[in-house]
Order: sequence, then structure tokens, then C-alpha cells
Amino acid sequence: MFKIKMADAKLLRDMVTAISILVDEATFKIDQKGLKLRAMDPSRVAMVDFEWPKTVFDEYTTTEPTKMCINISEMLKLLKRAGKDEVVELSLDEKTGKLQIKITGKYARNFTMPTLEASEEEVPTPKITFNVKAKATTQGLSQAIEDAQLVSDHVRIEADNEKLVLNAAGDLMGATITLQKGSDALLDLEAKEPSKATFSLSYLSEIIKEASATSDIATLEFSTDMPIKLDFQQAKEGKLTFYLAPRIETE
Amino acid sequence: MGVNLRDLVPKRIVRLEDLSGKSIAIDAYNALYQFLAIIRQPDGTPLKDTMGRITSHLSGLLYRTSNLVEMGIKPIYVFDGTPPTLKEVEIKRRMKAKEEALIKYEQAIKEGKIEEARMYAQATSRLKDYMAEDSKKLLNLMGIPWVQAPSEGEAQAAHLVKRGDADYCASQDYDSLLFGAPRLVRNVTISGRRKLPSKNVYIEVIPEVVELESILQECNITYEQLIDVGILIGTDFNPDGVKGLGPKTALKLIKEHGSIENAMQYLKNAEFPVEPQRIRDIFLNPKVTDNYKIVWKEPDMEGIVNFICRERDFSEDRVRKAVEKMQKGITKQKGKKTLEEWFR
Repeated sequence: MFKIKMADAKLLRDMVTAISILVDEATFKIDQKGLKLRAMDPSRVAMVDFEWPKTVFDEYTTTEPTKMCINISEMLKLLKRAGKDEVVELSLDEKTGKLQIKITGKYARNFTMPTLEASEEEVPTPKITFNVKAKATTQGLSQAIEDAQLVSDHVRIEADNEKLVLNAAGDLMGATITLQKGSDALLDLEAKEPSKATFSLSYLSEIIKEASATSDIATLEFSTDMPIKLDFQQAKEGKLTFYLAPRIETE
Repeated sequence: MGVNLRDLVPKRIVRLEDLSGKSIAIDAYNALYQFLAIIRQPDGTPLKDTMGRITSHLSGLLYRTSNLVEMGIKPIYVFDGTPPTLKEVEIKRRMKAKEEALIKYEQAIKEGKIEEARMYAQATSRLKDYMAEDSKKLLNLMGIPWVQAPSEGEAQAAHLVKRGDADYCASQDYDSLLFGAPRLVRNVTISGRRKLPSKNVYIEVIPEVVELESILQECNITYEQLIDVGILIGTDFNPDGVKGLGPKTALKLIKEHGSIENAMQYLKNAEFPVEPQRIRDIFLNPKVTDNYKIVWKEPDMEGIVNFICRERDFSEDRVRKAVEKMQKGITKQKGKKTLEEWFR
């Protein structure tokens, strides 16, 4: 048996939206401590690492550790029906394999959806030594990514101890976006050594855009030609982290 | 025709982009037949060069393959060798069907029924030896590897996937699953908008992935039993199967009795051209080879232009654009990494 209640339906919806960028079917691990998910996108370029301890919920009951796999976009359709200040409750009936989604506010809605066969794949944590750690506002990051997207589909991120630079070069146009340490957008920056790596903008922009709904501040960690780690600080407890593999420039 | 497992297999819809970075062993004859059937003028005449040689297969091969490569997919074409002797009945049936279609086509043309003519023309597609040779020559120029199967192409393609030399088999038929391919992807060579035959309706054809393991799990049978189900429905080696027996009933019978031999007494008028064991054997121990090399190379732009533009009258503009798309895809793929490299 598994049952949760959340007074803020929007928070759940935003989190599920952020996860939906990478996966269609999500397998959540549920135990006494809370809810976890770790999954890669089908092309295995990016991964999401998500955790919500039970304290995030207004009610959290589970009898034994279990797994729940659901079609994320179907779930999202239902969650989108929840308005502001409405309460959402999820309960899993393991016998029937149905997930019940109850939304109450102005009126009461009771949806049921099937669960799917849980994935057995255990996604490990990438082993990387990060040389750069930058703390930025998600708003500042979103803006910088939007700038870069105007000219290219990939971006080179470089940093030293002074500044974080995004360099986008398209076929014809180019863009350089500079975030100075201590500016409104870039709260903190540490570089053990100057580093640079290139990433796909379509992944970066979607991750940052959707995760921003759950978080105001993100910590970026990267090294030359290594995956980037984007950790989105949560208002309550909990973790929302993404990893994105780099592209290696050939020219 | 291949075995019709459609009703039994759980499939997962994918986007072509999701197959980026994956290598796909494509049943070459299956793809070429599709190109020959689909790439035709409105009245059903295939594309031809000024010498009257058919070029529909080259057109399909170039444009479809360049699309796949642009998306980062790594194709391998697998060509059929000598078919097993048991396939004769099926081959004769196909020949006869084509002859009949040809008569109907000519009739329709005479009567000026263009739509009908096109439909029959598609069914007359024959793959001549020169087409396979042309195709291999073009693939060489494109830098795309191909493998010559000693016998059935689907068996060889399945062998490639089993050995880890390819990630997926690609075919419209389900036979590679009976040959033990762990993963099959359908609709790769025809995805996109397609006109339904004889109707003025377009449908969106989307690739779908079928996994052997999930069929076995879903149906709760062993791999050997799946072959038996296939034989009951009908394979290329016993095209008629058991008359009046559909996929669902075939599965039920095998699940209840374990094998064709045990189920025999419950099958009325079941006839097989040879003992089922011999057909089973083709799937379990197919003739395949380990003698192949799979390397993707840069396309030879001038070589391709010389061959299909100078010799086969393709439009140079379009061909160059297609090859450029390929080159772009290759460059992009080279720089692409997956997270898996950092899990070790």
C-alpha cells in the first residue's frame, strides 16, 4: 500500500513535468524514507536523479518498499487539471495495479490510471571529478540559454575564477554570453582549473526551463569534456539533479 | 510474406531520433522491395533512367539511408543469399501473384484506370540481380556497410544483433524474431507520411520496437514455443500454416500442449510440407556467417554523383544535398557522447 497527500498540487505537477523531459515511463522507488527516481532518457545522453523525502508530503504512508512505474505524460494530463491551492492525493492499489489520483478543491475529482511493469534497470551515478562549481539563479540561466539558442543548437560553457561564459556558434551567427562572478545571475563561482565543455542546447534549455518551476537557484558542476551536473535547489527538502553528457567538438 | 505475429507482440512506439547512435541491421531485400513498390509515378511506372533501367531502389536507398544517417543512426544492410529449399513453395506463390498482378496492371492501363494500375503495379515489383548489384555499389560509395548472408537475410541480421554487432534488426516482417533476434524495429525504412493503397488517405507511419524477451514474457512461452506458434500460423517455409488457425488459437494450443507434436491430435487437417522439426531447425540453426566486417566510412560525394547522376540520371542538386545531410549527421555523431562512458 502506498498513499501520499500534498496540499500544493502545483508542486507535484511541476516536478512531474521536470521528470517528463527525459522519460516517458518513470519507475519510482518508494520506501519508508520517501520517493526516488533515477532514469536516463532513451538516447542515454541525459539523466535525472530525483528524491523527495516523506517530509515533503503532508501525508505519507507506505507499508513496504515497492516500485511504481507510470506513463508520465498520461499522469501529467491528469495533474494539469489541478488548479492553484488544490489538494492532490495519490494512492496505489497493488492488487489491481491502479493508481488513484484524487484532486480536491472547488470540487472533487477521482482519476484512476494503470501502472506499468517497473523497470529493473539501476542507473548508477556518473563518476566525474568536477573542476568548476557555479551557483546561479535559474532565471539568469534560462535567459542565457535563450540567448544562445537564437544562434545555435549547441553551446560551449567555459569558466575560470572570474566568469562563466557561454559560447554559441551557429552556421552563420554567433553569441557570447558572460556571467561575472558576484553578479545578479551568478552568485558564486569556483574553478580548480579553467574548464570548458559543449552541450546540446535542446536538452539544456528544456531541463533548465522545466526545473526552474521548482527551483530558484541551480548549482552547475563541470570539467573539460565531461558531463555537466545541474542541481536544482528545492524550497523544501528534496533533490532534483540532472546530468547531461557533453558533445565533443571535432573541428 | 513472413510470419504474422502482429496480434501477439507487444510493441513500443519510438521516434526515429530515439534510435540515434544505434546500429541497425536492415533486411536489404525487404527494404528494396518497399522502395520498388512505393517509389513510382502516379500510374505505377517505376523511376527509370534514359536507358530504361529501373532506379526506384537507388532513389529509396540514397534518400532513406541519408535520412537515417542524418539522425545519427548507423545502418547495415543485410542481403539474402540462396534461400533454403523449403522456401520454394513460397517463392513460387510470390511469382504467381506477381504474374497475376502484371496482367491486371496491363488491363487497368488499357482501361485508363490510373489508381488501380498503380495499385497492381506495386504488386508486380521484382528485384532483379542488377538491382542488388546497383544497391551494393551505391552503399559502398555511401560508406555504408553491407553483409552478404549465406542464406536468409533475416537470419543473418538476427545473428548480427545476437553477437552485439548491431543493436536492432530492421524489417517489416517478424521473422527475425523467430531467428532469435533480441530486438526488432519495424517501419524504419518507410516512416513518415504514407498513402494508403487505393485510398486517398494518408497515414503517419511510426517506427515501433519489438523485443523478443517481452513477447516471451507477455505470452508466457519459451523461444522454441514461439517458433512453434509461428509454424502453426505459417512461415515462409510453410506459407499456409494450419488452415483456419489464427495467431491467438495457435498460441493457446502451444501453451496448453507445449509443442506442435503434442498438439497434433487436437489439430484437425493439420498438414505440413515437411515434419515441423525441419522447419523449426531452419529457425534454431540457420545458415549464417561470421565472415563480415562492419565499418562506416565517409560518403564519397563525387563517386555517388558519378554513378547515380551521370549513369542513372538522378538530379545532381538533390543528390548532393542528401550526401551533405549524411556528412553533417556523421560529424555530429562523432562528437556525441552518452552518459554510459562515465559509469565505469
